[in-house]
This record gives sequence, structure tokens and C-alpha cells, in this order.
Amino acid sequence: MTRDFDNPQVEIAWCPGCGNFGILRALKETLEELGYKPQQVVLVSGIGQAAKTPHYLKANVFNGLHGRSIPVAFAIKATRPELCVIAESGDGCMYGEGGNHFLHAIRRNPDITVLVHNNQVYGLTKGQASPTSEEGFTTKAQPWGNLAHPLNPLSLAISQGASFVARAFAGDIEGLKGILKRAITFRGFALVDILQPCVTFNRVNTYSWYQERVYYLGDDHNPHDQIAAFERSLEWGNRIPLGVFYMNPKPTYEEKIRERTLRQRNVFDTEVFTTILQKELSRFL
Amino acid sequence: MADYSMMIGGAAGQGVQTVSETLSTILTRSGYYVFSIESYESRIRGGHTFTLLRVGEKQLLGARRSLDVLVCLNEETYERHIHKVHPKGIVFGKVKDQLRGEDIRVFSMDFEGEALQLGNKIFANMVATGAVLAILGIPLQKAQEYLQEAFGKKGTEIVAKNEEALKRGAEIVANFGLEGKYPLPPYDPTPRYLVSGNEALGLGALLAGCTFYSAYPMTPSTGILNFLASRAQEYGLVIEQAEDEIAAINMAIGASYAGARAMTGTSGGGFCLMCEGLGLAAMTETPIVVVDAQRPGPSTGLPTRTAQGDLLFVIHASHDEFPRFVFAPKDPEEAVNTVIRAFNLAEKYQVPAIILSDQYLADTKWSYDVFSVQERPERPLLPNKVPKPYKRYALFPDGVSPRLFPGDEHLVVADSDEHDEFGHLTENLLIRKAMQEKRMKKLELMRQEMRFPFFIPGKDATLLGWGSTWGVLLETRRELQKKGKEIGILHFSDLYPLPRGLQELLAGLPTPVVVEHNFTGQLAMLLSRETLLAFPKRICRYDGLPFLVEELTEKVEEVLST
Ligand SMILES: Cc1ncc(C[n+]2csc(CCOP(=O)(O)OP(=O)(O)O)c2C)c(N)n1
Ligand code: SF4
Ligand SMILES: [Mg+2]
Repeated sequence: MTRDFDNPQVEIAWCPGCGNFGILRALKETLEELGYKPQQVVLVSGIGQAAKTPHYLKANVFNGLHGRSIPVAFAIKATRPELCVIAESGDGCMYGEGGNHFLHAIRRNPDITVLVHNNQVYGLTKGQASPTSEEGFTTKAQPWGNLAHPLNPLSLAISQGASFVARAFAGDIEGLKGILKRAITFRGFALVDILQPCVTFNRVNTYSWYQERVYYLGDDHNPHDQIAAFERSLEWGNRIPLGVFYMNPKPTYEEKIRERTLRQRNVFDTEVFTTILQKELSRFL
Repeated sequence: MADYSMMIGGAAGQGVQTVSETLSTILTRSGYYVFSIESYESRIRGGHTFTLLRVGEKQLLGARRSLDVLVCLNEETYERHIHKVHPKGIVFGKVKDQLRGEDIRVFSMDFEGEALQLGNKIFANMVATGAVLAILGIPLQKAQEYLQEAFGKKGTEIVAKNEEALKRGAEIVANFGLEGKYPLPPYDPTPRYLVSGNEALGLGALLAGCTFYSAYPMTPSTGILNFLASRAQEYGLVIEQAEDEIAAINMAIGASYAGARAMTGTSGGGFCLMCEGLGLAAMTETPIVVVDAQRPGPSTGLPTRTAQGDLLFVIHASHDEFPRFVFAPKDPEEAVNTVIRAFNLAEKYQVPAIILSDQYLADTKWSYDVFSVQERPERPLLPNKVPKPYKRYALFPDGVSPRLFPGDEHLVVADSDEHDEFGHLTENLLIRKAMQEKRMKKLELMRQEMRFPFFIPGKDATLLGWGSTWGVLLETRRELQKKGKEIGILHFSDLYPLPRGLQELLAGLPTPVVVEHNFTGQLAMLLSRETLLAFPKRICRYDGLPFLVEELTEKVEEVLST
């Protein structure tokens, strides 16, 4: 049966067994279960394996440049706040090439969802270290082992008071869907870092590697406590927590400019044009 | 005919720009024509800054080097510029040697001392303003109205103090017997517009229906951001200071994809960062307008100076090939019209449009009797029936596919990868070929939209220029006319793609001389490429300062004599 968000027209170019398949399925089902129509959704991505995802759904798509999905998503939402806007890309795209945009989107707090397929590697360019690769991770470009310390996107986002911060695992579709639902319906900037096995280029962080470690945050975790959320975000090793770490509801960018954007007028109307022209010219006398 | 050039100089922070702003406004409102250019340094305090202000009875299109009045807010101004004052000129303010042995009259005036007597040395600039107005014989009434407008918000006391300062300046001048020394003809009540390039570019965007502007601050483009921000509340504009120029252009593209008219502005360095985004606009066929306010470079260069060094860069910017528009308006009036046109054409052909400004155009104020805005924002019509299912990149014969926005019944898929008609990425090389041809096909249609250069024939030589130098070319032509030379002008505002038919025109020009603010003569190279003609005579100025009338006149004479 084809569902609303299925797009059988486009051939999927991922490796068999790739963690992206789980994310794709979870996203399609989540959007449908939330009652969205493809027309109401805009998926914005950068470049990479993860960034191809929007093509494999039926929705509005803006597949932009490597690292630049967030500014595009921000502007679409600012211009058309009624649309559901999701930025989706890989760890290299979001945290590496686009790291600056990630930081500043947290500050602006647009009501967009940011999904990061975090496979801790550069998939599309054939296996170089990414910002989240572990220290010592060896690749053709880093034969001596990755010398840099991995970025902790959750700690970073929580420390900056991001409005919604979560981690999910592509190997648990139901768990992932639950988190996606909360992220997409949350009003404000929502980050979901999704642990995504890359079966071809990451032989360290495999399905079983994740499965042995991941567990869900329990009721004892208060997602409104920034310090507690930060502490839990530092946990990485034998045990890796999943779930919603932090929620910090606050006015969104679109809400802040709403009063102003309501004043927009039909810019192609001749009368409107003439009124503005006369008013503005008189200011230069 | 009255036509005076004045310079007001001082250190940054001494209020030179306030003097210039106040004088320009009052003189325009008093019925005279003003042309004022700003020279400043990339610092907030100290250094040297000046305004070159020309006032006259007829419209002025450029600045002159030789000064009638030099106002020195500090001694450095005197040292640097005294040699530019012509015989019979007046110098006042903080002056050094009072006896010059020439006809130049030098008067020592202690603006700051006078201001201190009024309670604060910040009033020094208004003392100077009062002095200049008195020399020109302008009654203080208009000035008082303006002070009320400009300082009213700060309270009646501030307005009163500024008024006193003005009067004090005028009194001192009267005591020296200089009142009305450079008289202007009686008051002409015609209202006149006083507009700078940056204001015009901002106004153009507003009138074009731009509702989204994202930018990262960079001199000399920042005035556009400030202008649009000042109108955001009133007209419901989304104005965002981006984290960098990469974000700025990607934001503009996102907003345009979503249906807004979107623009970004920067200077050369920021434009470098935008190059990949420019290609994204081209590949996704998302119309945007980008302003590059040029300054000398490379790299950070001279932030507050002028240049025309980016012409060939913006024509070629970003990898591989794609069509784009490049315009360089000649003055603020044309700038308003150019922005509206750029938006219309960018949308019509779904391509990026680039507007080249420069520090000279951005900061210079021009006055106009009539400020004519002929262009109107127009959204291109969609074909009666958009075929279903919707294909964003449907291969239409002219290369232009119907452009819809997300949120309606159709799905809009845009891709920076090479894509098929639906917008989905493809590595099918036949489709790639068809898509590249589709995009490039637009170039010839775009060419037909481009306007012919502004042309005045002249038998002795023809000055070729582009963008902001138009005014000074005209003034130079007049100057040479007085010396019996008939000089023509060919001036380009539409630069890429160049209109057809230039070959015939250019081939018949007597002694073409290309005048540009760059080292190599980029217009000359562009025209050579287009017409296979050679343009060996070039006048290139690249020190960061604009051409002044006398200098350019001398240069032209020099070039013609060799
Ligand atoms: C400006 C630019 N630099 C480099 C690339 C090449 N590139 C494409 S995807 C990619 C990294 C992909 O890694 P990630 O974002 O983690 O996505 P993944 O493929 O792992 O899903 C790189 C370096 C590019 N497309 N654009
Ligand atoms: S390379 Fe890795 S991330 Fe890319 S499709 Fe294959 S398994 Fe997935
Ligand atoms: Mg990756």
C-alpha cells in the first residue's frame, strides 16, 4: 500500500542495511500519523547521504548546499509560518560545514525541526572522519586515527538553552517516531540527533555497538532542568541515553515578528505602490 | 552662475557628518542643488574624515577638487587640504599660519571654545554649520526648522543650544565681514529631493516589493540594511542580520523559494562568501537580488573607499556557467528604478540579479527636482494551465518553467544537485545536458531585456564608463567643452548580458577612452571580448578616491595629447 508520503518514483541510492532507511520510514509514518498532508510540509536538506532523504518522500523539497539547510529552512518558516519546516542532513553537514548556522539558529529559535542523521562519518565522500567521529577513528584520510575530540551536539545545544533537544536511534523505529512526534509538534527550534549506523564506512559504531549501549531516559529525568539535561548529555560510552533531554519553551522567531509581518500588503497592487512611493519620496524632501 | 565647493574636515567623532547632513538638507530645502561626498576612515574616533560639499543653482553631477571654502574642525584638515583652496577662497576654523602671502583668506575660529561657552564642545559642529550658512548668505530660519526635526526628540534644551550654536557661528562670520561672501541667488521655493545611493537601493527594494532582506554588516553596503530596517515596522518587512554572508544569501534563497521577493547586500569580501549561494540560486532557478557595494581590495582592502574592481568577478562568480543579470546604476534615481527592474527580471527568468554599487554611489547625496520612478513591481504571469503533475523544471521551449510556491496543491521540489524535470536529483547525463541547455537558453532572452548604453556623440573623443562615474563623466565633458573640445560619452548601466548591436556603435566611436575605478580596465576587457575591438586608451583610478571633475579633465587632456 502506498501512503501519502511515499514516493515510489525516485530510486533510493543508499546501501542496503543503511540506518537511513529506518529514519525515512519513521519520518513518513510520523508525518502521516500527525495528520499532515505532503503539501503542508517542506523538507530542507544539505548534501550527503542523509541529505538525499527529502527526495525519497512525497513533500515540498528544497535540497540546497552542503551545510546550508538551516538558513534556508529558517527563511522559509519566517516567510510562510503556516508550513511545517524540517531541516534534515548528516552530521558533517549540520555540525561541520554548517556548524555556524546551527549555533545561530538556536539563538533565533525559529519553529523548525532539525534532524541530524549522525553516523559519525562522512558517508557520501566515502568515509572520512566527521565532527562526531570518535578519537582514533581511522579512515583513508586519517590513517593515523582521528586526532580531534568528537563534538557533543546535545551538550552544545543544551548549554545554549536550545528549546528542544533530543537523541534517537535509527535502529528503534517506534522509539524514533515517538521522539519525532514530540519534536515536530514542539513550538520552537527542535534538535533530534539520530544515531544512524553507516554499514559501509563506520565499522566501529555499528547496529550492535549502539544496541548494546542505548537506553531511554526515564521518568526520573526532568527535561525542564537545564543542568540535569546537560549532565545526562555528557553520558557517552558504555551507556548512551536516548529521549528528550531538554525542553525550554520560549517565544519563537516567527511569533516575535508576527505583529510586523501582519502589516505586509499586496506589493504588486498599483495603488499600494503609489501610496508608498508618495509617502517615501516626501521623506526625502 | 553660483557654484561653490566646500570642504568640512575633522577627526572621526567631531561631527563632520552631522555638518554635512545638516548643510545638505538645509541647502536643498532652501532651493539649491547639492552634491556631497563623504570621505571617512574605518574607525569611530580620530583619524581624518571630510565631506566635500558642492552647492549651486543648477543640478550638480560630480564633485570638484578646487575649494571655495575650507572648514577645519582640526588642524590636520588645514594641513592636508589648504593647497586645494583656490585664490580668493576662504579658510576658517583651526588654522595654522594665518599669512599665506596669497589671496586666500584665513580666519582663525575656535569652534570648540565657542561651543564650550554654550556648555559642551559637541556643539562645535553646529557653530561651524552656522558659519558656512552665513558665508552663503542663507537665513537661519530653515536651519532652525531642521534642528527641531533632527534634535526635537532629544528635548527643547538641546534644540535651543544647537540654535544658539548656529547663531554664534553666523555672528562670528558677520564680525569678520564675510557674511554673504559667496552669495547664492534668491530663494527658489521648489522642493527638491536629496537622496544617497544606499537610501535609493533600500527604497528601490521596498518599492519592488522586497519583504525579506538578510545581510551581514559590511561597509559600504550597511546603509541598505539600516534603511530597510527603519521601514520594517511600517511595511512588515523581515530583516535579518545573518551570522555570515553564506547564511545571508541562503536565507534570501529560502525566502524566495517560499514566495517572497528577497534581497541581500554586501561588499566584495562578503560577495566572495556568497558565490556558492549564487550558484544555488542559479541551479534551483530561484530569483534573488544581490547588491555588491564595491570597495578596493583584494581581501579586506579599504573598507571606506570606492572602487569598481568587481565587474568581471560578479559576471563570472561561482563555478561552471549560468545566466545572471548584472546592473550598475549611475545615480540614486536610477538605483531605485534598477532595483525594481532587477527584481522583475530576476523573477521573469528565475535567475540571480546582481547590482553593483560602490562606496561613492552608496554614500554620495544627490539632489533632484524630479525624482522619477517609472518601474513597477510585476510578477510574471503563469501559463493558463500548469501541466499536472507539476514539474518545477519542466522543459519549456524558452527554458523558463512555471514557478509555483510550496503550500498549494502542487509539490515544489528544488534541488542544488543536477535534477530532472520534477526537481529530483539525477545522474542521467542526457537529462543533465538538457537541463544545462535549458538554463543557458535564457541568456539570449535576457540579453533582449538589456538597455543600450547612454550615448552622447562627440567628435574629439568618447569617454566610456559604467555605474557611478556617469555624473563626473558629464561634468568633465562640460569642462572640456569650455576648452573647445567636443567629447562624447558612452555610459553603461546594464552590464551583463550586454545588449546586442554594440559592435557597430563601438566600431564607429572617435577615440574611445575608458574611464574606470580599477587597475586593468574591466569594462574595456568586457567590451573587447564582446566586440573583438581594442580599447587601449584607459584612465584608471584605483587609490580608493572618486574621480573629481578637474582631475579627470586633466587626465583626459593628457590621454588625448599622447
Ligand atoms: C561545499 C562542499 N564541500 C564538500 C562537499 C562534498 N561533500 C558532500 S557530502 C559531504 C559530507 C557528508 O557527510 P555527512 O554530512 O555526515 O552526510 P552523510 O553522507 O554521512 O550522511 C561532503 C564533504 C560538498 N558537496 N560541498
Ligand atoms: S555509505 Fe553509509 S550512510 Fe551512506 S548509504 Fe551507505 S551505509 Fe548509508
Ligand atoms: Mg555523516
